[in-house]
Amino acid sequence: MTAYPVLTTTTFLPLVGAALILVFGSERLARWIALATTVATLAVSAPLYWYFDKASSALQFVESADWIPSLNIAYGMGVDGISLPFIFLAALLSVLCIGASWTAVQTRVREFYAALLVAETAMIGLFAASNLFLFFVFWELMLVPIFLLIGVWGGPGRVYAAVKFLIFTLSGSVLMLVGVIAIYGACGTLDFKALALARASLQPEQQAWLFAAFLAAFAVKVPMFPVHTWLPDAHTEAPTAGSVILAGILLKMGAYGFLRVSLPILPYGVQLFLKPMLFISAVAIVYGAYVTLVQTDVKRLIAYSSVSHMGFVTLGIFTLNRSGVEGAILQMINHGIVSAALFLCIGMIYERTHTREIKNYGGVAKTAPVYSTLLALFCLAAAGTPGLNSFVGEFLIIGAAFKTQAWLGVMAVWGVALGTTYIIWLYYQVVMGEMNPDLVGLKLELNAREVATLAPLALLAVCLGLYPEYVLSYLRVPVARLLAAGVTP
Amino acid sequence: MVRSMSDLALLVPELILAGMALALILAARRIQETPVAVIGTVLASMAAALASGWVLSWGAKTGFGGMITVDGYSQFFKVLIAATLALAALLSERSLDGEQVPRAEYHALLLLASTGMMLAVSSRDLVPLWLGLELMTLCSYILVGIRVERPASNEAAIKYFLLGSFASAVLVYGISLTYGVTGTTDFAGIASVLSKHGSGSNLLLLAAIGLVAAGLAFKIAAVPMHAWAPDAYQGASAPVAAFLAAGSKAVGLAALGRVCLAVFGSEARVFSVILAVLAGLSIVVGSILALSQTDMKRLLAYSSIAHAGYALLGLIAGTAEGASATMTYAFFYVFMTLGTFGVVAALGERGEKLDGYRGLAAQRPGIALLMLLFLMSLTGIPPTAGFAAKFVVILSAVRAGHIALAVLAVACSVVSAFFYMRVAVLMYMNAPKEPAPSRFPGPVFAALAVAALVTLIGGISPGSLAPWTAPP
Repeated sequence: MTAYPVLTTTTFLPLVGAALILVFGSERLARWIALATTVATLAVSAPLYWYFDKASSALQFVESADWIPSLNIAYGMGVDGISLPFIFLAALLSVLCIGASWTAVQTRVREFYAALLVAETAMIGLFAASNLFLFFVFWELMLVPIFLLIGVWGGPGRVYAAVKFLIFTLSGSVLMLVGVIAIYGACGTLDFKALALARASLQPEQQAWLFAAFLAAFAVKVPMFPVHTWLPDAHTEAPTAGSVILAGILLKMGAYGFLRVSLPILPYGVQLFLKPMLFISAVAIVYGAYVTLVQTDVKRLIAYSSVSHMGFVTLGIFTLNRSGVEGAILQMINHGIVSAALFLCIGMIYERTHTREIKNYGGVAKTAPVYSTLLALFCLAAAGTPGLNSFVGEFLIIGAAFKTQAWLGVMAVWGVALGTTYIIWLYYQVVMGEMNPDLVGLKLELNAREVATLAPLALLAVCLGLYPEYVLSYLRVPVARLLAAGVTP
Repeated sequence: MVRSMSDLALLVPELILAGMALALILAARRIQETPVAVIGTVLASMAAALASGWVLSWGAKTGFGGMITVDGYSQFFKVLIAATLALAALLSERSLDGEQVPRAEYHALLLLASTGMMLAVSSRDLVPLWLGLELMTLCSYILVGIRVERPASNEAAIKYFLLGSFASAVLVYGISLTYGVTGTTDFAGIASVLSKHGSGSNLLLLAAIGLVAAGLAFKIAAVPMHAWAPDAYQGASAPVAAFLAAGSKAVGLAALGRVCLAVFGSEARVFSVILAVLAGLSIVVGSILALSQTDMKRLLAYSSIAHAGYALLGLIAGTAEGASATMTYAFFYVFMTLGTFGVVAALGERGEKLDGYRGLAAQRPGIALLMLLFLMSLTGIPPTAGFAAKFVVILSAVRAGHIALAVLAVACSVVSAFFYMRVAVLMYMNAPKEPAPSRFPGPVFAALAVAALVTLIGGISPGSLAPWTAPP
């Protein structure tokens, strides 16, 4: 179909870039190599969208090669409609991260961009993996670059945040490792497609344990209540690029894990855990929103809002009906766009003011109209305003929640209301009102590079709000198949 | 008594190493200030590795009246031992510079210890097994204490010697009880006598099994026979500690694997319980005690205790597949641990204390990156060999039905991440306090590069080792 193995190239091109940066590269060159690599990665992934067959639920662009013949584990890549949008999002956000770090990162530039590119490989690879072993390898490969991004280039509390992030995620993922090994022991294969067929050999009781093991890893990454406590620290202390990757992609890895592993392979486990999962999702939505309301730190506020928004995602997934799951995936993508954009916005103004306290802001609109307009757009999107992207996903999820249990729907609506409150409050405090005296004389307006960094996300927020079908059309067939084949045990 | 020349031919790798050791001792006076000793040692180890493969190409054979065997298992470990020897010799270049250590004798001792290791992995009889292990251990005592000017070094050697002699006595006692029960020390002989007994029926035999397992557990520093390792590693120079951590452990595992499968196979139930207890204790105790260490070599000693436990996970199953998993683990463990100790050795005094790693990444990014790779591998994070190794041993434990032990093992690997990554935190997230380390000598750099390459390739292509991990 294409002249080169698209998925492998897309996945490993950033790694090549990272190697180039470490081998050559003065600091100046490192930036350009990183930019060129991420743009090239986005470019080589183009055939994925061009030749993708939306009518098929099978994995496409499949690549397979022997990897560990002694264990019957192959190197396998492939995408379907569920994973494809995330590959695009990961590739796009990586480019924007380079743009956002251009002047913000001044120390140990080479290592910064190398870590960023390794993280990109892990992100894309995770969504492109067609077997559980490769999935796990990329899952873990993500760990160290993000650990370094937070710990080396982060804020004042960076070391604590980095270690907390590492220990939380590692605790989850080692249990997943036992789960992977147990599945392999029982089924003799780790290929997603083969596993969906071989799952009959997993007893219901085994499935319950396996679901719990995978839940440990996925719940930490999403993050679900009550294992979300690493997130505010990590997001707040990370440099802008780190926050963007964390909020934009890393949080989605957990939810994607539910869709790729738990639902298709462990239907009994899903049924058994269904009620608790719905309950803690609803708790995360409301609890997350209330905690967000009282934050005084801009980054922390956005970070906590992610807990609430990701609650919508898990709620949607575990309603197990079509609009819920489609809405959840759409919400993952929308949250990836909007929260990444908000972190970028905050990072840009932080670079000028060096404060994250909300009370130190005010009246930014007076000197920075373009910035204020873009921020308004993203805040409205985050609040779920109709016509902007988040609305559609939340709407689908809330509808599905009402269909499942009325009180779930009520909780979700409550979460949306609170969400509007905190985000409008944030916007009001930062942008409107009288100019804060501390800000007078600062050059707050965005430069061309920064506008260019935000523009693609603004465009996506508007376009996906007006025409969500563009993403939904990718989801329709695979989600229908997932629900038809997967959840009925 | 040598029965024929073909018997001797089985021992070509051992003869090469012993020959080089004797040559170095004879020429000691003349080569003390020259690099001849290290070159000779590296060449001899390469020749021994090649010879190991060459001997195997005649097919699996036994000689010396069935006492010595050459099979895929023994030759796998011989190549590994040769690699350990070569890397340890290369790493010694830096630490020998400032010390009053006689170079020729130092390298001769390394060679003789390796000879003993190779003999031990080739044994098909308890007596040569013991002889080989003793040759290794006796040389190790001296190597630990070879920095005679340092009191810490002397103290470590004496502690190691006292505990080591005790463990050797335990092993010999176990061997003698086994002989008492079965009337033979030959592996095949013991196995055939035991298969006629009902398993678990003979108390004396159970005692023998316990004593043999305990004696061998000392060599791999498994809890509760681990107390020597932190002191010995701390007192020894970093390359010697590396040699002990890698070589002694590999040989102990090789011996345990052969004894477990080929000798006490019919008592597998008892043996697997002993091994499971050793493994569980080692993993937990090693991981937890490592947390509070501030001396790098002590930290790595406790880490090596935990890794002994992980490696044992493969043997618990008592299957050929499990033994292969342990072989894989031993192989990758040797390279990643040599790499880590290599960085410690290369940094000199600064590398001994945990605080010495502060800000290393800002001063020497390349070295910090190598160290990060080895630490990731020790933690078991892909794409490194440590992950591949951990995967196969835990798979083996899960297949044997020890799910709880597998969960315990991975839980402890999170604990271990805490102290391994603490080094990474110090390297990357702290400002340097000491001046940048000087450039590494070429040999040290070569050894680190080899270790890093194996660690990386093992992670990217974990299956590449599979054709050679032939269980006994």
